[in-house]
Order: sequence, then structure tokens, then C-alpha cells
Amino acid sequence: MAKSNLFVNGSEGDKAIVLGNEAIARGALEAGIGYASMYPGTPASEIIAVLDKNKKHVENLYTEFSLNEHISLHGAIGASWSGIRSLCAMKNVGLNVASEPAQFLAYTGVKAGLVVAIGSDPGAPSSSNEQDDRWYSLHTYMPVMEPSNIQEAKDFTKDAFDVSEEFSFGIVLMAPSRLCHNAGALRFGNIRDRSNIKGDFKKDPENYLNLFSFAVKNHAKYLKRNELLKKYLIESKFNKTVNGGSSKIGFISSGVIYAHLMEAFDILGIYEHKILKLGFSFPISDELIKRFFEGLEKIVIVEEAEGFLEFQIKKIAYETGFKGRIYGKEFFSRTGELTLDEVISGVSAFLEKPPPASFDFAVKKDRELSDKLPQRSGTFCIGCPHRATFYSILKAVGFSNTEEKERDVVIAGDIGCYTLGLLPPYNAMDFLTCMNAGLSIGQAISKFDKSKKVIALVGDSTFYHSGIPVLLNAVQNGADVLYIILDNSWTAMTGHQKTPSTQKDIDGKPSSNVLNLKDLVKSLGVSYVKSLDPNSVKRFSAQIKSALKEPGVKVLIAKRECILQEIRRNKSLLKNGAKITETGESLYEIQKSRCVKCNECFVELACPAIILKKDEDTGGDYYYIDPASCVKCGVCYEICPNSAIRKVEFDLKSELKLDGKSLEITV
Amino acid sequence: MKKFNIAIVGLGGQGIITMGTVMKNAALNSDLQDVSGSERRGGAQREGYVETFVKYIFYENAAEMNNPRKSMHSPMIESGGANALISLEPLETLRGIKYLNKDSIVIFNKTPYIPISVRMGKTEYPEISFIVSELQKITKHIYYYDIDAISLEKFNSLTQKNIIALGILFAKADIPIDRFAVESILAEGKGAENNLKAFALGLNL
Ligand code: SF4
Ligand code: SF4
Repeated sequence: MAKSNLFVNGSEGDKAIVLGNEAIARGALEAGIGYASMYPGTPASEIIAVLDKNKKHVENLYTEFSLNEHISLHGAIGASWSGIRSLCAMKNVGLNVASEPAQFLAYTGVKAGLVVAIGSDPGAPSSSNEQDDRWYSLHTYMPVMEPSNIQEAKDFTKDAFDVSEEFSFGIVLMAPSRLCHNAGALRFGNIRDRSNIKGDFKKDPENYLNLFSFAVKNHAKYLKRNELLKKYLIESKFNKTVNGGSSKIGFISSGVIYAHLMEAFDILGIYEHKILKLGFSFPISDELIKRFFEGLEKIVIVEEAEGFLEFQIKKIAYETGFKGRIYGKEFFSRTGELTLDEVISGVSAFLEKPPPASFDFAVKKDRELSDKLPQRSGTFCIGCPHRATFYSILKAVGFSNTEEKERDVVIAGDIGCYTLGLLPPYNAMDFLTCMNAGLSIGQAISKFDKSKKVIALVGDSTFYHSGIPVLLNAVQNGADVLYIILDNSWTAMTGHQKTPSTQKDIDGKPSSNVLNLKDLVKSLGVSYVKSLDPNSVKRFSAQIKSALKEPGVKVLIAKRECILQEIRRNKSLLKNGAKITETGESLYEIQKSRCVKCNECFVELACPAIILKKDEDTGGDYYYIDPASCVKCGVCYEICPNSAIRKVEFDLKSELKLDGKSLEITV
Repeated sequence: MKKFNIAIVGLGGQGIITMGTVMKNAALNSDLQDVSGSERRGGAQREGYVETFVKYIFYENAAEMNNPRKSMHSPMIESGGANALISLEPLETLRGIKYLNKDSIVIFNKTPYIPISVRMGKTEYPEISFIVSELQKITKHIYYYDIDAISLEKFNSLTQKNIIALGILFAKADIPIDRFAVESILAEGKGAENNLKAFALGLNL
């Protein structure tokens, strides 16, 4: 009999399909964590989300979606020092924000095991850069573990807590998006007894008071612990050597790339070379590498990004007097995701063994076609308030996305769903880097280029993350910026975690601690603050226009809940027996006869529910609102300059209304 | 060791990830079996390209399963490595074409979702006949239907189209997985009644 909810109740002998992220969370649960936190970030979000969702079924588990990664990692440290095993997750760039606590963690050490699970994002499908966080460890000294598959994601996480306690380091568990979002079979283990998870902070001034000469002493201590760890790693179960035949070539790899490599060998039919799989990619034991080198003349390092293993291993080779040659980045790209295909091609090129004909043929075919195919980029959901916001901004600054003219405003972008506004058709951002860079960079531009107005955008979650000091700084230093806070009440991009703006949960329960954003902004010294519904595009656009005429820092809060959450809540309320209080249904419709295809709704607003249809009679095309997708936000209705879009209302008394006026109908 | 690789491609919001999850769960009962495959997920937003891989691995014996040269599997499918490709959007079928070889089975949905670049008049959406002729250059096992229309007609909604496609897959390809396992998973999940109907519908198309 299958147990229900294996994530919580599974034990040895159970097997299930889980996501890499869930496997990490499960490993932490098996290890007996009492604390789990993160600031949400793709691809890592599900690690904490799954724990948070299940915490009511787990004894003594505290979870937190912290306001930023700096706070989140400090929280994990506090829990660890209280004797609670703690897990802190983040996306790759999160470590930039958490780098400060990370710098101190080696100095002070941990008490209970602490693991930092990092979701990296090579190829940057969900990020604004593809940084490889492993390099941080050259100065933070945090050991780095790299699981290769779902099973290891769980097992390594579980073991990481023991290693953390034994060597008093916070352990980094690295998982690229390919592993975070790999779904496969996991064999469960047993969960540690949870009944005795209890905090007890014991003072430890020698380790925790980290300044002056104490800091220097701590520095020496962790260098020593690092050496001990290296020694432990010579023969640990985490680094594995797969022996080969008589070949003088050896391969070294780690993490998911190792999985690519093993499959590449199998596809190429190559089985004779010695292979070293590094479960720990930092630190790397000199002795381990020296032993692996024995009898080899050529070493190939197969890894993603800029060659973190190669950097360390070449140093070890030099110090241990290795006479052979070491290859790596000559064969494997430094940029983008290192795919299975690229590993096959790289290995095949190095060993001069051609891949199967079907592989070559497919690669060629893809190359030939891919330039010809229309690109597809994600866009806002149907009915998303961000779409209305961008439309309003572009209208307010007199810009149409089909004209090739220069905008005389600078639009500063930031991180969140609204980042998609930088893509066509809106093209409504002039720069985008990291969290809260928009206003920070924008306020300086406003000082040095007075010929252009500056509009800076930010989402509610991003604003709370680290935007408050930025806004205060802009006010204190007399910047001239229009700051638009797109407040949709959720951290929507990463799967809808709550923010201080969240009014009501998805089950309709009001939040207990909602923040009044307008008051907060006012209290920071902004006198021009207005909160309005972006879906009223004409009003919103007019407000932007007039705000741009005012000096100083102006704040407009585009306040409307994420449409997905609104729909989900309505569905769940309906399912739970809520009465339908509406008295009618409505739908929006484009009248073929009136539409002149001016493209205002189809291209400028670009709501995906408005589609192009073939006219069977004339053979031409016409615009049509797909009733199955339209969520009736009414924005297109408001903007059509030709009154071609009408609102049809069905009264429950079967009276049909058109644009508010009643109509007689005969059925 | 035998492998069976399925690539599923389409757009965010089409239920592609769910398809992969159902397929994977159907393969849990044997010890000598492994299943893997990553998903390429967009954010919460719509209309981005999404792909998911389902890789079934069958070991000959326990020794093979414990052989490190055989037991580690990439979460990806290599070019030319798919036994089957399912695409829920016609244009995206061409983006998934790289996974095909001469024996691959292709099932695709004919309903186009027009990308922004086409809306803006910058590029043109390929004709279905072009898509079919490109596919024919690689494999002759091509099946396509207007799955959106079928789902709308039978269920008055688009939510069943992924399960209809799954049914078609079982009808057209020799999947090494028991279809009753799929049915029992559907029977336990949300919207069981419609999903079972949709699966049966696909099986008979
Ligand atoms: S805005 Fe009105 S007239 Fe213009 S394309 Fe849309 S429906 Fe037609
Ligand atoms: S009302 Fe118009 S803009 Fe709103 S979802 Fe429907 S088609 Fe799109």
C-alpha cells in the first residue's frame, strides 16, 4: 500500500518520483533539520516551498521566507548556534547578498550542521547572470558538495550536516537548474527522531566574538579545519574513482556534468578511461589528485562555466610535480549551459571518436533550422496587471513599440515577473542587472543627465528585499526620479510566496501582518505618493504624465493583485462552497465590422487572449478575443480607439447588456 | 541496458510538466528500472518554451545497475536520441526536431500560438505543411491532430489536451510501460474522471 505524502512519511524501502529540489529538502528532513529559510529564487524555490507546505505535518520544523538572503543565512546561523540543524536555500545570485554572513561563517564556525543549498542557473534561463558560486569558496572556505542525480541530491544533503558538524563549516550544496528541476526516482531513507529538536544557545565567545585578534585566531583555526577536511576527503565516499583499462587518459568531473559525461561515454561506446568523480569540488585533496594521476599522461577536466576544478587541479598538478598535460576549457565552453550534447561533442573531439550518425545529423538539422524559426519569449499572463502598467508607461512617455524612435526617458528595470517588460513588444527597460539596481543606478543618472526623465521600476517583493534603503538614499540625496512600485502582493515569479503586501492568502484568509506600503513610503520622506489600479490604463497613464512633471522623488504604487492568485483564490473559494455573489457573466468581443486592425490591442497591449483568426469567407484575417483564455480584465476594451471592442453582459435574468445598455433579445 | 527516451515540448501553461510526471510515476514498480529527466521551466509566466524529458532505463541485471559506467544518467536527451517526441504546439515541434532520429515517433498538436515576434510582423509563422515536410526529412512516423479543438469539443476546456496527447502516444508508440499504470495514476489524481476519458480518447484517435 502506498503511504500518503511520502515526502513527510516515507522511510527506507519507499520510492517516489521527486524533483531534485524536493530531494534536497527531503535529505535535510532526514538529517533532522529544525530550521529552513530562503528568499525565493528560481531554480531553488521548491527546496523551501515543499518544507513550508508540509510543516504542519512535521514536528519541530520552522520555515521562513525571509525578506532577503542576507537575513536568511544569518537566520540559519542563529539556529545553528542554538543547536538546531539548519538549511538555507537561495539561487546563485542570492549568495552575493548573503556573501557577508558567508564570509564570517568559516571564522565563527557552526554548532549544529548548517547547509546552504544553492540553485545555480547556467545559461541563465531564469537569472540575470550565470555566476558560478563555487568560486566564492576560495575565500569563504565553505566546502562545496555537488550531487550528480536525484538520489545523491538527497543523500549528499543528509550527509552534509554531519560533515558540517565534524569540521565546523557551513556546507554549500550546489545544484544547477538541471538538477533542481530534474524529476526522477528517489529511494528514501529514515528520518531522524524529531521529538528532541530544541534550541539551546550556549555562549562561545572564543568563536562567536569575531573581531581584532580573535578574528585573526579564528582565521588560523579555519585554515586548520580546512586541512583536516582535505585529509578526510582522500578516502571519503564522496569522491569516487572509476578504474579504466590501460589507457593513459583520465577524466575528472563533478555534479550533473559527471552524469552527462557517463552517458556520453556510453553513447560513444567508450569504457576504457579512468574517471574521478568529485563529490566535493572544494576543497580538493592534493593527495587524492596525486593518486589519481598515477600512470596517467593526459587529464581531461569536464565541467561547466569557467573552470573552477581546472583552476584548483592545475595548481595541485604543479605542486605535486605532475608531468602530463591537463585539458579542460579548450574542449568545453565557458559560457552557457554545458549540455549533454556539448559533453558528447567535447569528448568525441578530444578522443577523436565520432559520435553516432544520428547525433551528427540531428545537430546539423537543428543548426540549419534554428535561425529560421520565429523566436518565442515568455510574456505576461493573460490579465496580468504588469501588462497594463507597461502599456500605461509607454503611452505616458509617448512611445509606441512599433515606431523606431528614441525614447527621451530612461526606464530602469529590476528583478521580478515585470522584468519581462524588457522583451518585445514593450522593450520598456534600458538596463537590468541585480536586485534594486534600477533605482540605485537610475537616481545617479537623474543627477548627471538632466535632459532625460528617469523612471525606475520595482516589484513589491524586490522593494522589500533591499529597496527601502535605496529609496531613502534617493530622497536624502535629492534625486529626480519617478519610482513605480508594481505591487501585485506576491513574489510571483518564483511560485507566489507571500510578501508584506499580501492581503489575503489563497484560501481567502486575511494576512495578520499586512504592511501599508503607502505609509511606509511616506515615512521615508516621499511627499508625492499615489496608489492606483494599473488596469485603469487611461487614469494611470495620465498620472504618470503629471508625476513626471514634478521635481524630486515621486512614487506611484501600481496596486493590483497578481491575476493568477486572484483566479486561484476564486476557484478554491468556489470549490469550498462559497456562494457565487455575482449576478451576471460578461465577455469581451471584437466586432469584426468595426475593427480597423490598428493594432492597439494586438501589438501595443499584446494580450495573448487576442488572436488572429482566418476568415473562412474572405480568406483574410481578423482579430478575435478567445473566450476560453480571456480573463475579462477589460483593459483592451478601455484602450480600443475605435470602440470596436464591446462588453457583453449576461444578466442572471437573461437580459443581455451591451456596453452597459440593456438590449431586448429573443431566444 | 535498454533506454526509452521521450521529449515533450510546448509552451508554459500547457500541462507539459504534468505529462512528464505522470509518465515517470508509471515506471516505479520494478527494481531494475530507473527514470530520470529534467524540465525546462519558465517562471510563472506564459508562452515561453518549455520542455521536459522522460528517460526510462531498464537494466539487464543487478550487476549492470551497480556498474558506475551504466548507472549514471544525464537528465537530458542527446540530439537524435528521442524514441518519441510530443509537441503541444506546431512551431515548437521544429524546436524539438533536434531530438529526432529516423525511428522516432512524432506526435504534435496543430493549434498554433502566435509568438510576439510574429504579432509584430517581424517574422512569419511556418505553415503546417512546412513543419510536416521538415519532419519527414527525418522520420516517417508523424501524427498530428488539432488537440486543442478536440479538447474543447469534448471537455469544453483546454486542460485535457496534455492527457489526450498522452493517450495518442500510447496508441502510436511502443512504450515500454504498462498503460494500466498510467491509468491508475490518472485515476488517483485530480480530475480523474475527465483525465481517464481524455486518455481513452487519445488512445483511439
Ligand atoms: S484596438 Fe480596436 S480597432 Fe484596434 S485592432 Fe484592437 S479591436 Fe481593432
Ligand atoms: S479583457 Fe481584453 S485584455 Fe483583458 S484578458 Fe480579455 S482580451 Fe485580454
